[in-house]
Amino acid sequence: MPLSWKALKDKILTVLLFLPALVLVGYFVYFSIGWNIVVSLSDWKGLVPSYHIVGFSQYLKLASDPVFLTSLKNNLILMALFVPGSLVLGLILAIFLDQKVRFEGGFRTIYLLPFTLSFVITGYLWRWMYNPTIGVINTILDKTGLGFLKSGWITDPNIALYCVVLALIWQFAGYTMLIFLAGIRSIPESHIMAAQVDGASGLYLYRRIIIPQIKFSFFTAFVILMVFALKAFDFIYILTSGGPGYATEILPLTMYKESFAMTHFAYGSAIASLLFFLVMMIVVPYLLRTYWRSEK
Amino acid sequence: MIRPRLSRFFLYLILIFFVILFILPLWSALVTALKTEQDLIYTTPIEPPKTPTLEPLKTTLSVMGRPLLNSLTFTLGATILSCLFGSIAGYVLTKIRFPGSGIVFALIILGIFIPYQAVLVPLVLTMVRLGLYNTIWGLILTHTAYGIPICTLLFRSFYEDIPDSLVRAAQIDGAGTWTIYRRVILPLSWLPFAVAAVFQFTSIWNDLLIGLVLSRGIEAMPASVALANLKGGFVALWNLQMAGTLWYALPALIVYFVLGKYLIKGYMAGAIKG
Amino acid sequence: MAKVIIKNLKKRYGKAEAVENLNLEIRDGEFFVLLGPSGCGKTTTLLCIAGLVIPEEGEIWFGEELVTSKEKGSFLRPQERDVAMVFQDYAIYPHLTVFRNISFPLEVRGVSRETIEKKVKGVAESLGISPLLSRKPAQLSGGQRQRVALARAIVREPKVFLMDEPLSNLDAKLRVAARAELKKLHEKIKTTIVYVTHDQVEAMSIGNRIAILNNGRLEQVGTPREVYDRPANIFVASFIGSPPMNFFEGNVNRQDEEIALDLGFALIKLPEEIKKAIVKEGLSQLTVGIRPEHIEIVKEKGKSTEGLIEAKIDIIELVGKEFIVHLDLGRWSIVSVTSSNLDLREGEIVWFSLDINRVHFFESQTGKALSTS
Repeated sequence: MPLSWKALKDKILTVLLFLPALVLVGYFVYFSIGWNIVVSLSDWKGLVPSYHIVGFSQYLKLASDPVFLTSLKNNLILMALFVPGSLVLGLILAIFLDQKVRFEGGFRTIYLLPFTLSFVITGYLWRWMYNPTIGVINTILDKTGLGFLKSGWITDPNIALYCVVLALIWQFAGYTMLIFLAGIRSIPESHIMAAQVDGASGLYLYRRIIIPQIKFSFFTAFVILMVFALKAFDFIYILTSGGPGYATEILPLTMYKESFAMTHFAYGSAIASLLFFLVMMIVVPYLLRTYWRSEK
Repeated sequence: MIRPRLSRFFLYLILIFFVILFILPLWSALVTALKTEQDLIYTTPIEPPKTPTLEPLKTTLSVMGRPLLNSLTFTLGATILSCLFGSIAGYVLTKIRFPGSGIVFALIILGIFIPYQAVLVPLVLTMVRLGLYNTIWGLILTHTAYGIPICTLLFRSFYEDIPDSLVRAAQIDGAGTWTIYRRVILPLSWLPFAVAAVFQFTSIWNDLLIGLVLSRGIEAMPASVALANLKGGFVALWNLQMAGTLWYALPALIVYFVLGKYLIKGYMAGAIKG
Repeated sequence: MAKVIIKNLKKRYGKAEAVENLNLEIRDGEFFVLLGPSGCGKTTTLLCIAGLVIPEEGEIWFGEELVTSKEKGSFLRPQERDVAMVFQDYAIYPHLTVFRNISFPLEVRGVSRETIEKKVKGVAESLGISPLLSRKPAQLSGGQRQRVALARAIVREPKVFLMDEPLSNLDAKLRVAARAELKKLHEKIKTTIVYVTHDQVEAMSIGNRIAILNNGRLEQVGTPREVYDRPANIFVASFIGSPPMNFFEGNVNRQDEEIALDLGFALIKLPEEIKKAIVKEGLSQLTVGIRPEHIEIVKEKGKSTEGLIEAKIDIIELVGKEFIVHLDLGRWSIVSVTSSNLDLREGEIVWFSLDINRVHFFESQTGKALSTS
């Protein structure tokens, strides 16, 4: 079919409309990622950019860098504790709120509030909570006679990381709760009624009928939490800056310090590329499963 | 369903327990921000001040005033732009079939998840080269670019529900792509715009890393960075730190309490499938 | 197996009365149908019997057991009532195989695995779904899913079966077959079934007795024959039967001691009881109803001119072995169902007669039937 002038003009206009979005994403995401990988293959150190390619030597350095290894270890611990913790707490809250409570909206608003706050805010809040001398937690413990439970919290290198995990669970539980609640509510009412008539009630009903049907919600929340654990820069920057020592150092933080504090740009970029690949390993299967499946 | 009264009681008890847990840090921040140095020493962190004062709030405002304005400016700017581009992208991807639109969509969506670390250095280099380092426009450009993926997702899932027949009817009536967008799609889009706008506003307002890396002086410094700097300068003055935190939290809290339901819709996008 | 007794049931949703003072007695082993248009309260009633909905007032008994009474503080949760329910969307658990779906109610009750095996396989066999046991619901067709839902209900051998429009999601052909199967099933297991539907053809074909509800009120209870031949009011008369009954307003006409009814296009004679009722109540107007199948069309006046009314054929619908003929009487129209063996054309003039014995008389104001013909 011959392309009339009007149709051609229309096609051009369409492309023009779509172009800014494509260009911006293409450049700021994909081109930049590629650029970053190139930097990671160079020997750039200091303020003057250098693109002298040295292969994978930056990456090899990572393997023998104790700070990096500690950072990696901490990141993995964070993921292993934070993700299940948030999922479980969110699920519990969702089940409670599914009980037809009055003021459900009010409870939901409050539980979700921390998630909407910037990590700068919550970082400060928890610095205050965890402060060993005049902070909230230790003061409450003192006043309620539980003073023996006091601790250095984020100043104690042995438990600092776990304090971070707890604070993050506090922040994310409202979000996972939201996801699970939506999932539970999407189950047709007739299924719940059928299960009740069949004899199931209470926890049994949740365990055998409701929870198995929200697998997709689990999946989504899981992926989002995992990815966050790899990206969690803001919160730790404010709360502990990686300290005490390197007890709460995680990969995003290390990358920032290497590149921007110590100007080891190539090395920092190597860490960043590694982060990118780790995230992709989690996200790509999820997206494939979600969107490819639905195109069937 | 009749439930025994006892278990209802425990249910509410637990729910209120969690409310206290969730509110506690915020409450403490609030009361601390209103305390004098005396009160800081002599009252517990959860007690209200004996002699409340607005001094910490005033002091921090003078430090954070300009950054707050900066944040407001680039947040609004980037929100509007990313919503616009996301809307157009969503429209093109759902209503205009072209080969490879599935792949383009997938590539855009992937952008939602990328860790900023992976593009940080190139980002700075780009901004320097464009002369946009430490400028509001630099921040607007950056946040717009990184906001397009999620906006595209939000708009696309909404536009998928608009029947194709509406578009086809307009085409038969002779309307071109832009006209269809302007007169058919756009008027139906107030909801996804609301959701995307609230979501973007909150995300961009809350950002720290981009702000840290793209600003140097007070000209373009976001409020988040200014707040982060407080911890260096005022080491033990918690009332000031909490006051600064409150100022920074204020706009986001207002948006949450007034427009929260749109934010919730944004969070749930992609969370329920099928 | 038990009888279900409903006394003074009242259920409100907000300001709207879904069920108003319902009284029903469902006999043991009966196939009892709750029929009515959407919103009439039939599903609500069913849910009350199941215990999934608590009424504001009223009592529900299963045999000698009081299962619902808000006033007396008695309430048995659905889990504790011995009822099984089949839902309109079948409500089959998507994450369980067909086998686990059917065995679920038994598993909940802690029945032993061997017994479960035996029972599930037995029920699957009788419903013809044995080959499907290891499949998941997503792989089944609508008809297959419906049978799984049925199997899940049967496997428990409950006292009462509750069914909420279980056939309405099947396509027409399947529906007719499924209806017959349900009937056979009922004959075999002889358990009380309470069945909700809005389809009056369905109700008439499978029910032992039908309760017709409208806007939360019970209009009539009776066997299919009873509600068809002797509808208690205009609503029932118009709801049962397809095509629906023809209705006309008639003015009482007194001439020389003779009471007749003037329909405008005809003057009809009245049976004695109707005449008596008119005199007794002092009625001046009646509503008259006659079913299309009771209107006989005649092509030539020559047969017998007595009592024949002239009309023009407006539209003819051919439905297989019958014609649905829409007749034009000037200011009125009437629908007749006639054998398609007759040679009829649209626009033709024909004659029809009204069989007085088949005419139904109703009070115009209340809609109540005036003794039945």
